[in-house]
Amino acid sequence: MAETILIVVEQREGKLNRVSWETITGAQAIAAQTGWTIEAAVVGNGIAGIAAEVAAKSVAKVYALESPKLAAYTPDGFASALKQFIAQRQPKLVLMPHTYQVRDFCPKLAASLGSTVIPDCIGYKYEGGRLLFTRQMFQGKFAADVSFTGQGPWFATFQNGAFRGDQVQEGASAAPIENVAAEVADVRTSPEEPFKEAKQAVDLTQAEIIVSVGRGIKEQKNIDMAKQLADALGGEIAASRPICDSGWLPMERQVGSSGQTVAPKLYLALGISGAIQHIVGMKGSRSIVAINKDAEAPIFEIADIAVVGNLFDIVPPLIEEVKKAKAGA
Amino acid sequence: MLRPNGPVARCWVKILVCMKQVPQKDAPLKLNEGGTWIREDVSYEVNEPDAYALEEALRQKEKHGGEVVVITAGPARAQQVLREALAKGADRAIHLEDDRFVGLDAFNVARAFAAAIKEDAFDLIFTGLQSDDYGYAQTGVLLAELMGWPHATIIMQIEKKDSGIRVKRELEAGFFQFVEMPLPAVLTIQSGINKLRYATLIGIKQAKNKPMRKVSWDDVSGAVGENLQKVEKLYVPQKTKKTEYLEGSPAEVAKKLVDKLRNEVRVL
Amino acid sequence: MASTTSKRKIAGGSFLIEETNPREVFTPEDFTEEHLQIAKTAEEFYVNEILPNADKIEQKDFSVTRGLLKKLAELGLTSVDVPEQYGGTDMDKVTSSIIAENISRSGSFSVSFGAHVGIGTLPIVWFGTEEQKQKYLTKIASGEWISAYALSESSSGSDALNCRAKAVLSPDGKHYILNGEKMWITNAGFADVFIVFAKVDGEKFSAFIVERNSPGFAVGAEEHKLGIRGSSTAPLILNDCKVPVENLLGDIGKGHIIAFNILNVGRFKLGAACIGGAHESLKHSIQWAKDRKAFGKTIADFGLIREKIAQMAVGIYAGESLVYRTVGMMDAALSEIDKSAPDATREIRKAIEEYAVECSIIKVWASEMLDGIVDETVQIYGSYGYVEEYPAERAYRDSRINRIFEGTNEINRLIITGWLMKRAMSGQLALLPAIKRLMDEVMSGPSMPEEDDRPLAAERAIVASARKLSLLIAGAASQKYMQALVDKQEVMGAIADMVIETYAMDTCVARAERLLAAKGEAGASLAVAMTRAYLSGSMAIVERMAKKVMADVAEGDMLRTQMSILRRLTKYEPINVIAAQEQIAAKVLEQGKYIL
Repeated sequence: MAETILIVVEQREGKLNRVSWETITGAQAIAAQTGWTIEAAVVGNGIAGIAAEVAAKSVAKVYALESPKLAAYTPDGFASALKQFIAQRQPKLVLMPHTYQVRDFCPKLAASLGSTVIPDCIGYKYEGGRLLFTRQMFQGKFAADVSFTGQGPWFATFQNGAFRGDQVQEGASAAPIENVAAEVADVRTSPEEPFKEAKQAVDLTQAEIIVSVGRGIKEQKNIDMAKQLADALGGEIAASRPICDSGWLPMERQVGSSGQTVAPKLYLALGISGAIQHIVGMKGSRSIVAINKDAEAPIFEIADIAVVGNLFDIVPPLIEEVKKAKAGA
Repeated sequence: MLRPNGPVARCWVKILVCMKQVPQKDAPLKLNEGGTWIREDVSYEVNEPDAYALEEALRQKEKHGGEVVVITAGPARAQQVLREALAKGADRAIHLEDDRFVGLDAFNVARAFAAAIKEDAFDLIFTGLQSDDYGYAQTGVLLAELMGWPHATIIMQIEKKDSGIRVKRELEAGFFQFVEMPLPAVLTIQSGINKLRYATLIGIKQAKNKPMRKVSWDDVSGAVGENLQKVEKLYVPQKTKKTEYLEGSPAEVAKKLVDKLRNEVRVL
Repeated sequence: MASTTSKRKIAGGSFLIEETNPREVFTPEDFTEEHLQIAKTAEEFYVNEILPNADKIEQKDFSVTRGLLKKLAELGLTSVDVPEQYGGTDMDKVTSSIIAENISRSGSFSVSFGAHVGIGTLPIVWFGTEEQKQKYLTKIASGEWISAYALSESSSGSDALNCRAKAVLSPDGKHYILNGEKMWITNAGFADVFIVFAKVDGEKFSAFIVERNSPGFAVGAEEHKLGIRGSSTAPLILNDCKVPVENLLGDIGKGHIIAFNILNVGRFKLGAACIGGAHESLKHSIQWAKDRKAFGKTIADFGLIREKIAQMAVGIYAGESLVYRTVGMMDAALSEIDKSAPDATREIRKAIEEYAVECSIIKVWASEMLDGIVDETVQIYGSYGYVEEYPAERAYRDSRINRIFEGTNEINRLIITGWLMKRAMSGQLALLPAIKRLMDEVMSGPSMPEEDDRPLAAERAIVASARKLSLLIAGAASQKYMQALVDKQEVMGAIADMVIETYAMDTCVARAERLLAAKGEAGASLAVAMTRAYLSGSMAIVERMAKKVMADVAEGDMLRTQMSILRRLTKYEPINVIAAQEQIAAKVLEQGKYIL
């Protein structure tokens, strides 16, 4: 009998977390190489809709683990429900997205089954019939291939962005859904409603997305356009020194040798030429996108994605496209 | 423990802080010959998230009274982490001292810790959010499971309640959540929850005289099992920095760029 | 064991007359865990508290400086030299130097810090009465009060005893009435308490503790300085300034004892502070060299840039070796003193005074080393080094004062040679017998050197030659000029340079030997390379200075004889300094900072 991969998709407040599609994409890739079967599980209360959504993808089966005790997330509740289920189903591999929620219960779940999690993986390798999971170590300075030594069920979680969620394969027909009345042991923690806090003082070093403007922005009033782009992306606005010197943006938003050193996931440089004093403050960014009129601008040397052109032409449609993409999400 | 100079009130909390020694942030790391781990001849320091956990424990103690105990596992060099914690105000330290502790997976480290503190009755165990070397973020949660205690991760605030504690968890996308739980419990502390203190000269002078309990490999090896996972290979990730130029009309460029932001940069 | 230092009390200046036993040389490798933790606290404080405030400090926002000094006091970092009963942390001089080194990475704050914890505090520690200590030290130790030291005047700097400020006892005998003006007073703008020197009745040079709010006391306008602009430097104006008689510090007419003793401490701490500044400049240089591109490479790939980086690291290596060897000797001597004895402070002063020549060497050597480093940092930055936006420019300006204050480097060179001559004459230092032995040796013609196949034999031989040359030249010069030598400043200065380099080389070699013994060839290879690189340049100075003096003190046959001795002593295989520097640069660039 073929082994099974079980994906535990994530739902929060009754909504599927889109990052779950990435996990399914990853599982589908592994399954394609190993020939294993893919099944998915949703945990919660009143989750039939989510189960149906997942069942549309190319998976063999979807389980809906339901209990009123699972209405709000608790590590005790989720771990005990899944423990019973997994102990009974015995999948070879359990995959989840590496979210804050998963970090909170997955190690406990694995340990309760005498097993282990390889967390925060960015990929996998299937070599000589062995599965290896690739993850970053030493804060990204190294990558490591990690194997399981025990019998399983094995647990692995995938980092946000490890696979492309939009490449998840749809099923030819909807997969069967099985409702499972989850057994939930004592829940010792009492969670309150999640809430959002008022935005605090800007800390660019913590920002995941930064839209940064340079001299190419030309006039103070144009800063607003860049801000709109930052807002659409859910990022922070920053600038090179001349902009802050002119008082168009406060000094605390300056990136570079005399300002902040940042390393966001995305650094979008608008009209920044890339003088070395600016580069030293942002070259550690995971991805650098540069839009500049001057094809010879040094910023292009370190950019991952380059657009040679007038930022005033490109930014407005870009804002629209970003908004569209977000709405589609 | 009798503390003649301590607060009059009953010791509220006895907190254990799990700490780890990791390579210094700016230390240039090199792979060992087999490519299975780094070369150990680097400078080490306290795992920064653990420093926040210690700071939070010290603040709780200052507020409510009690005791702060620090624990680490590793070779002799790891003692530096404990000395530093003692200098900052921890009351005593436990050192699981052996080279072999370095190679343990998170589950086994948690098992070794649990075995080492069998005789102690802690109300709370704190760990940092994760370590700067492995970055597994598991030891705290695993320890809770082993101890049979409730836990909560990524904690931003801790309040004492009659029935236990109420903590603020950080969720994703700017959300937070309060959670209540009874004691004893395990918390993993978010970095930035507080402002770290410096070790004072007096603290450094006094640290020498604070108790440091050594636990040998043999003392806890009975509780430790086979590692359930193994680092097969450590390597420098391939850099694929090639500048890709997007061309076309502004509208086309905008579309292409958003596509890349979603599928390659993955920020949408 | 070779890795531990023995704590024999070593006579000041003895490096010049006897071969050094490396096991008696204290090195940074001897720091205790406590020392390292204190270094860490100080370094973290610099990075997290001082550095982010650097711009505010530079704009003379003295509330920031005061706030930082207060925070440092709360951590116990400002009162290492203050006894515990007055709220101090009372630790050894190694600790004191470690703190100076790690706090003093940018000029302006370092100067405020140094003036407060050093020259502003120590006079009361050493010369204060019990009442004065209770009243002032406790507040100074807690950072509540900031202190300053007022010795110079507009017309008397290096010749401080020539001061014009006057003190006269009031008719009721309750106050001294001070009149005059003090100049270049660090911390004047915000200090609460000043150690002020004035002549009682215009004759007897004395010191007073003067509070800022004393009647008749005023602080003049801030000076506009080349560097250390964030520190306060202003004149004091004493206009019938009333100082209670109980604030006389030490004895009437004995102010010079205070002034001179304090300067010894000021000098070794200044040396430690220069090492801190050097670390900072090297870090900036490395960062820039790695980031800056030219001809399709980073400039850190170019040999002439790598050479500068290597030389900076060598400067730090030699400098920290010098500072900690010296304070290690002090601590060994101080550890023998019973601090509860009634004459303890006198014994402490004497123990430090013993190393006056080493303190002056450190002052001269370290300030010139740092000036070289900040200069080359500007060079590495190129045009960017010449503009205010980058750190190179400020460091370049800030460094310059170090060669001027705490006794100009010229005064200190005269002190070095003068002190040694004085000790030689009085027989306290067996310099004359050493010179005689040497003359006998050289006159008996060339001899086969003893076989030395231990590691660093060649380096030890170079140091031995430098020592001999220094003695030879000192002997020749004193024979020629006798008592008048003190007035032949160029000769005094050249001899001082030879002595300085001998101490520096000797110290580098001793540390490398210790490391070899402790860590083996691989573990010590960087230290050996730095030692060799240092020796190569240093021995050239010794030779040059020797020739300079020889040509002045001898002629004809005598000069020829001396030159043949010099040639014999300087016959050594040239050091491959390029290879050594390449090794050093590779390591330092990889680490991103000086690390041994």
